[in-house]
Amino acid sequence: MHVPDLFFMFFTIFVLVTASIVAFSSNMLHSAFTLFFVLFGMAGFYVLLGGDFVAMVQLMVYAGGVNVLLIFGTMLTGDIAKPEISNLSFQGILTFFSGVSFMAVLLTVFEKTEWTLLEKGVREPTTAELGKLLLKDYILPFEVISFLLLAAMVGSVLIVLQREKD
Amino acid sequence: MGLSAYLMVSAGLFALGMIMFISKKNTIGILMGVELVLNSAALNFMAFSYFTPSKGNQLDGQIFAIFIILLAAAEAVVALGIAIAAYKEYNHVQADELISLKG
Repeated sequence: MHVPDLFFMFFTIFVLVTASIVAFSSNMLHSAFTLFFVLFGMAGFYVLLGGDFVAMVQLMVYAGGVNVLLIFGTMLTGDIAKPEISNLSFQGILTFFSGVSFMAVLLTVFEKTEWTLLEKGVREPTTAELGKLLLKDYILPFEVISFLLLAAMVGSVLIVLQREKD
Repeated sequence: MGLSAYLMVSAGLFALGMIMFISKKNTIGILMGVELVLNSAALNFMAFSYFTPSKGNQLDGQIFAIFIILLAAAEAVVALGIAIAAYKEYNHVQADELISLKG
């Protein structure tokens, strides 16, 4: 057994266990903090798949930015002292069955499909290549998404400020 | 480990995220479910990019994964702004009780 396979198994167990804690924990704050470990494990997967730059972006933007935002949101909005209100689930059994059956369908599809594998990717530094791609082939999506980020930032500040004025 | 193994992990994450955003009452909890689903999509893109690289650019899938991460950031910012505004108005963010627009 190769070393990457061992890492793959470790990350699989790690991500699925922590994601289950996120999904089924009754305390909102526990979910928010455990989500950090899920995102960390996903960065591990990205490293295994030869994406060093994407893994770093995942760690900095997702684990460092989005997750901190979510933790802030949890602390600012939820009644975290009362988990029985703050993270109530409803229709637990129905949702559980629908989720499990959906996953079963997906697993069957993945098992039955014959993926045509080309040559295997290589693990080499990707940062320079990604930079070239982003500024040549994908310049339009890049600009659009930067404008979207700006609009989202201004918009969210506006939403919160307008409420304060009223 | 082959492509199927990665796809199965991402299917598990997708199912957990789906369970979350169907069953949670708290809006922030629904957001966390959406984050899980977006992560599973990005993992799919990375796996396909590694195992079946496209002929033109080998890194197309990674570009899409980066775009997914950025979109998730924008979505989280806006949704949290809305959640905080709703909390100021109603003192809760329970999704089944937020039934009136503008008021």
